[in-house]
Amino acid sequence: MNPQALMDGLVTGSMIGLGAIGVTLTYSILRFANFAHGEFLAWGAYIALAVSGALGWLAPSLLAPIGPFSFGWSLPIAAIAAIALTGGLALLVDALLFGRLRAQRSTVIIMVMASFGAALTLRSLLEFIFTAKPAYYTKALQIALPLGGGLRATPDQLLSLGLAAILVVTLHVLLTRTTIGRSMRAVSENQQLAGVVGVDVRKVIRTVWLLGAGLAAVAGIMAGLLVQVRPYMGLDLLLPLFAAAILGGIGSVPGAMLAGLIVGLTEAFAVQFVGAEWRAAIAFVILVAVLLFRPQGIFGRPE
Amino acid sequence: MTASDRPVALSTKALVAGYERDLPIVRGVDFAIRQGELVVVLGPNGAGKSTFVKAIAGLVPVHSGTASLGAADITSVPAHEKIRHGLAFVPQTENIFATLSIHENLLLAANILPKERRQERIAALYGMFPDLAARPSLRAGQLSGGQRQMLAVARALVVEPSVLILDEPSAGLSPKIVAEVFSTLKAINETGVTIVLVEQNVKAALAIADRAVILVEGLLRHEGPAATLADDPIVAELYLGARHVPKAAGQ
Repeated sequence: MNPQALMDGLVTGSMIGLGAIGVTLTYSILRFANFAHGEFLAWGAYIALAVSGALGWLAPSLLAPIGPFSFGWSLPIAAIAAIALTGGLALLVDALLFGRLRAQRSTVIIMVMASFGAALTLRSLLEFIFTAKPAYYTKALQIALPLGGGLRATPDQLLSLGLAAILVVTLHVLLTRTTIGRSMRAVSENQQLAGVVGVDVRKVIRTVWLLGAGLAAVAGIMAGLLVQVRPYMGLDLLLPLFAAAILGGIGSVPGAMLAGLIVGLTEAFAVQFVGAEWRAAIAFVILVAVLLFRPQGIFGRPE
Repeated sequence: MTASDRPVALSTKALVAGYERDLPIVRGVDFAIRQGELVVVLGPNGAGKSTFVKAIAGLVPVHSGTASLGAADITSVPAHEKIRHGLAFVPQTENIFATLSIHENLLLAANILPKERRQERIAALYGMFPDLAARPSLRAGQLSGGQRQMLAVARALVVEPSVLILDEPSAGLSPKIVAEVFSTLKAINETGVTIVLVEQNVKAALAIADRAVILVEGLLRHEGPAATLADDPIVAELYLGARHVPKAAGQ
């Protein structure tokens, strides 16, 4: 066995985990499976690409690699802009589409179908603006550093892992220790009662979109940095995202992250033992198995 | 000052409400409760009692008419803003956050208070409900039915509302626990909180209420002092009538 699968799995898994957190948050608070969530990853990646490119054109010194990493300061700055703008995009989609459907008290299936429509629109727009040709944040090649035990990782990969860990811990603290976190948990349990108690449900919904889309943007930028930026990157990650959100237990942030890592690792090991052509099937197998045997997921509470 | 001299705390004028526009459940109710009163809303099943109080709380659409808290019209105030006007509502079921701890339930309600008053109010509620104070970090879902009701009431009281509306707090509780809940409500009322109580448990509710109103088919059909209504034949007819009819038919 090649221990490198462990590192590959962790890196992919942390991207899946960050995306799955957004899926699990929207699912638990807005009560529908948002199939457009993958597109937020892709949009985040492309916005960062555009901003980073513009910054590099304005100030070429920003393109010089920072320390051991493959990218210059243009990318972290662009990432912050991408997080904010992807959050804004999610709010815009909500205002134009989901919010209107909520106001009409639409059923879940209408919301889900609307999210399919939103996904198609967002993806086609990306393809229209940026073409289907893969793009890269940087042309620099990185040498993987030996970590011992046969493991190797590039500085970019290690940074991604660390950043994902920090984000998950921060979000967990936000949900469990702060007023907005308590309000989010309250709305997720009983929206009407939350209103009666004085929680502004609209504010909670806005927060959920901003957090979910912001994390999706980070995951998209990681995917773009470690692999490549493509209009279909969100669609390709959609099944793993849902597998992780459901495996982790809907509503559980640590669960989504842990499950993301499990899905990522399983995929990586499957590539080794079964063959790369089966990679895409793994998330599907996990999804079906969880739905059959433990529908509430690892950390979920039975309905 | 007698009860009838006190200013009106909560009132409705020709209130029409219901989930569907063309199917009003509450069909024009004029209601008023004075400050410090405890009024029970009675009526047979399906009379619209619950819809009536939910419409006041902003949970059921009001088609026409008004609801006022003191002099302020609160008809179109969104549900989450009503608590800021001093109107607290305790729903019948699922009236606590089961996945949050006792303390978190109270903190959530305290959030609309100025920061410096939050801890003080929660401490005051713990003083009133020692059962809750004993285990603040316990998940509310693990509480018994009676304790859940107490938590729901405590949470409503955190913000010191002027009017407290409760939708069937006795539902699903044993008679002993009902007695406890009702004596707590009476004690809260005696501290000056105006209480509107929707109840099926007629006897227990009339025992603590000052006044009762009876809703039938979405209309306010009868009202009077609780003490006299307890023996009123109309009350007996409204509640026992349904049970008497099949008997009479069978005879």
